[in-house]
Amino acid sequence: MSKLEGKKLILLGERDGVPGPAMEACFAGTGAEVVFSATECFV
Amino acid sequence: MDLQNQQRVVDAAEKYGAENVIVLLGSSDAGGAEIYAETVAAGDPTFAGPLAGVSLGLPVYHVFDETIKAEVDPATWEEQLAMMEMVLDTGKLSTAVEGMREKHSKYKL
Repeated sequence: MSKLEGKKLILLGERDGVPGPAMEACFAGTGAEVVFSATECFV
Repeated sequence: MDLQNQQRVVDAAEKYGAENVIVLLGSSDAGGAEIYAETVAAGDPTFAGPLAGVSLGLPVYHVFDETIKAEVDPATWEEQLAMMEMVLDTGKLSTAVEGMREKHSKYKL
């Protein structure tokens, strides 16, 4: 069983690193629920 | 961290319980990742947002942490994250977040 099964995920992405949507795609099949995803940027 | 996102973190922890929530970071530099990790685990170090003085103790990992990578389908990982994995110092990022997690997170995966 996935360690993430049943967990609620908060994805804090970064524009110059890994953006939120890329992480969302990765965790869609893990049994975890993405409760919110954001992509911040530092300028 | 964006003040609005701090509020969303507080709301999620209240709604689902801190023990059920995991925060994953996609930061590109270790210093920034450390501040994010500190903010969600120990509280906002700048005392500017809703997490100021609020120690949620949330478990926090960088997305490039091996524990997290092991949970993702390899083909999806390749498609979404492999490029940035080559460019960024993944070891340094994971270690920076791990340091804060060991110190402040009340829950672990």
